[in-house]
Amino acid sequence: MAEVMAQVVPQQTIKLKDCDPNFVKEVIKAGGKNAHICFQCGTCTAGCPTVYAMDYTPRQILRMVNLGMKDKVLQSGTIWLCASCYTCQSRCPRGVEITSLMGALKSLAIKEGVDVKNIKGPAFYNSFIDIAMSNGRMFEPMLFLKFAMKSEGSLTGAAKAMMKDAPFGMKLVMKGKMAFVPHKIKQSKQLKTIYENIKKMEGESE
Amino acid sequence: MKIGYYPGCSLEATAKEYDMSTREILKELDVELEELDDWNCCGASAAYSTDYMLSLALPARNIAIAEKAGLDVLAPCPECYVRLWKTNDAAKEDPKLLEKINKTFKGTDLEYKASVDIRHPVDIILNDVGLEKLKEKVKKPLTDLRVVPYYGCVLVRPPRKNSFDSAENPTSLDKIISTVGATPVDFPMKTKCCGAPLILADEDVMIKLADALFSKAKELGADCMITACPLCHMGLDGKQTSIEKAYDKKIDMPVLYFTQLIGLALGISHKKLGLDKNLVSTSKLVKSFSAAPK
Repeated sequence: MAEVMAQVVPQQTIKLKDCDPNFVKEVIKAGGKNAHICFQCGTCTAGCPTVYAMDYTPRQILRMVNLGMKDKVLQSGTIWLCASCYTCQSRCPRGVEITSLMGALKSLAIKEGVDVKNIKGPAFYNSFIDIAMSNGRMFEPMLFLKFAMKSEGSLTGAAKAMMKDAPFGMKLVMKGKMAFVPHKIKQSKQLKTIYENIKKMEGESE
Repeated sequence: MKIGYYPGCSLEATAKEYDMSTREILKELDVELEELDDWNCCGASAAYSTDYMLSLALPARNIAIAEKAGLDVLAPCPECYVRLWKTNDAAKEDPKLLEKINKTFKGTDLEYKASVDIRHPVDIILNDVGLEKLKEKVKKPLTDLRVVPYYGCVLVRPPRKNSFDSAENPTSLDKIISTVGATPVDFPMKTKCCGAPLILADEDVMIKLADALFSKAKELGADCMITACPLCHMGLDGKQTSIEKAYDKKIDMPVLYFTQLIGLALGISHKKLGLDKNLVSTSKLVKSFSAAPK
């Protein structure tokens, strides 16, 4: 608890001119469902397993979303520390879909190209989706490689990160749990069409 | 009974032993699996963290394939399971959402009706096979084995309408452990997140969370832990040596898929259950309970 308390941000004036009144609508559209009905009880924060490492607690993030503090929210480390465990969402007395909200916030940060130092979440999710959409199935060696390239930002950095994980990768190979060739689904073209349709639909509704 | 099998990506690779043991025990329990043709990745947490509609369309394509075959869907990986049921249950209740999902399929021959059900093997064993039948099939009761029923997160969360178990105090794995003759450890952290979703993006957090589970399991005198989740397994089994290194201690706790535990009790050989594929050695358990290897 002391750990959490120590991280409560000092009181500061929130200036309306820094807030985006449309932010909460944007978040809801991105899958954030019912973020606007939060009544600030803090049950989400109380049950969160990763709150000790967060810069803002989940309850604070909800308040900030509703106040329209877009930049601070999308640049927070909190959203990337959400492990999607659904504890907060299961316990919320208002039925706020907080895990879905965190997902929506991550997607907005990725779309806006927010780049925060030492935050590797965007690199992970982007690498994952790249592979899932081109092959139709995951291919772990490529995921490790892409993630290392994207998160380290340089070839030497990626090589260093890969070396660190190499013993683990080797163990998986020895146990026959790591494929050497990707499995591409027969109808991978369908996924391409689906992705294009989604982009078109998003364009239409704006 | 017959059901459409959606292994998901993990079960083809890092969770191969989960696939092997699921197929073996369900065959023994007279559940016929028909693998869905040309299934795709469900998108996991990455899809809804990058694009909301994509997180619905990817699961829906798989369900549409099952519908064409006239089968319900069985998804052993809890992350796949939650992505599939959340999409499907929402589309069943909201015709507008269903229409929107079908709009993403424009230009393909896919049609999604949200007409079948999404099931998990724990649910099938409890409610279709039944614990009585499971008990009848036990050849080698796992007497005196203290097992932690570790549920993790998305097997039971978020709460699903008519779910097979409680989100806050699930008991299905406890019941399975008792039925195969072992002793379920009363584990207060049974639904506490192990941190494995952050395995690549933030390993330190994962190591801290997983270590807390092991400390509690050790304190309670557990012989092994069981899980139904490939990601939990990757953290707890795969990264156990990293946790030992980080805290400079020995853990040495076998982590089995619940299907491997059932398989041992059903007298299926350890090779067929992939018990040699777990990274933390299961040889002690195998020596005590396994049928002679073929």
